[in-house]
Amino acid sequence: MSGGIARGRLAEERKAWRKNHPHGFVAKPETMADGSANLMIWHCTIPGKQGTDWEGGYYPLTLHFSEDYPSKPPKCKFPQGFFHPNVYPSGTVCLSILNEDSGWRPAITVKQILVGIQDLLDQPNPADPAQTDGYHIFIQDKPEYKRRVRVQAKQYPALL
Amino acid sequence: MAAGAEAEADEEELEPLFDYSRVQPTMAFSFDDTDIEKSDIFVHCNKRRKVADGDGDANADEKGDKGEQKAAKAAAVVDLGEEDWLPPPPPPKPKSTVTDESEQSSVLKELRLQKQAMAKFAESADDFLEKLAQTARQKVEARIPTEHIDLDKSPERHEAREKVVVTVQDKAGHHQFRLYKDEKFGKLFRAYAKKVNLSVADLTFAFDGDKVDAESTPEDLGLEDEDMVEVLHKTR
Repeated sequence: MSGGIARGRLAEERKAWRKNHPHGFVAKPETMADGSANLMIWHCTIPGKQGTDWEGGYYPLTLHFSEDYPSKPPKCKFPQGFFHPNVYPSGTVCLSILNEDSGWRPAITVKQILVGIQDLLDQPNPADPAQTDGYHIFIQDKPEYKRRVRVQAKQYPALL
Repeated sequence: MAAGAEAEADEEELEPLFDYSRVQPTMAFSFDDTDIEKSDIFVHCNKRRKVADGDGDANADEKGDKGEQKAAKAAAVVDLGEEDWLPPPPPPKPKSTVTDESEQSSVLKELRLQKQAMAKFAESADDFLEKLAQTARQKVEARIPTEHIDLDKSPERHEAREKVVVTVQDKAGHHQFRLYKDEKFGKLFRAYAKKVNLSVADLTFAFDGDKVDAESTPEDLGLEDEDMVEVLHKTR
């Protein structure tokens, strides 16, 4: 039952996304070897917000949904070693709306998740550090932090 | 004395007789003792004879009176009989006709009322359907965007080929275009470029993060109505 609910909801999310989504964002289910879509894993792209040091970068993010979705939030992962105070070394994003015990609500859509993460990029939460490198530099050396961000933006250019 | 005693006895005997209305005629006979006796006896005998048969003038007279009474009774009975007979013909007929007419009229009224109710129901149903149709139309109209560019208005081709509405999104907003599912995207690109006064060469179109080739078609990408294609400026 929960599995059915998860896939049904994800199919709806996919349909809604195709018709309306923020400019520059990408969100699509993984394509399997036989050409069919695996709704439980979505490959996304989050553009760096215009006017910020993150601008120009198109950051790949993977959403892993469980059979308990939408009761439980998806796990969102940037590439391993992604530079950000609230991203674990494994790439997993630490964000309140993605925490089942914190801000997650079943009504939160994929669009809201992706926009929320985009906001997080330029507005780190120092009270909830997830990695040593990003956190320490963000706290102790702002200029170096900004430089590191711009370097990373160039590492993830637009694919088109 | 004996006569007085007899008279008293006679009076005593007569007193109860006075209680009966039939005794009044016998008062005439009270003057004669023998008549009185006879009358008493005859009264009983007359009763008996009445049951059987009677003879004698006096008896005849009495019989005559009683006969008259009987005749009166018989007449009364006959009248009753007549009354019994008379009522059936006239009253039942008009009553029955009235009843029939009233019944028919009531049935007809009921039928008419039912017909009216059915007619009203049909009308209300029609109204409801019309409202539903209007609502549906309004919804459809609401869904249909104000700006709607049809790249090909040929009715013949429209009948033969299927079309799809594609939304093109840029940073400023989005526009919708309708084109055949088997039509090349190049036509869409040129229409969009013309609309925003830009050169097609400076634009890149993408769907699901992948570049859209000008030679491909909506059918190739599996696009459905109102799916969104993004446009990026190469000058960046």
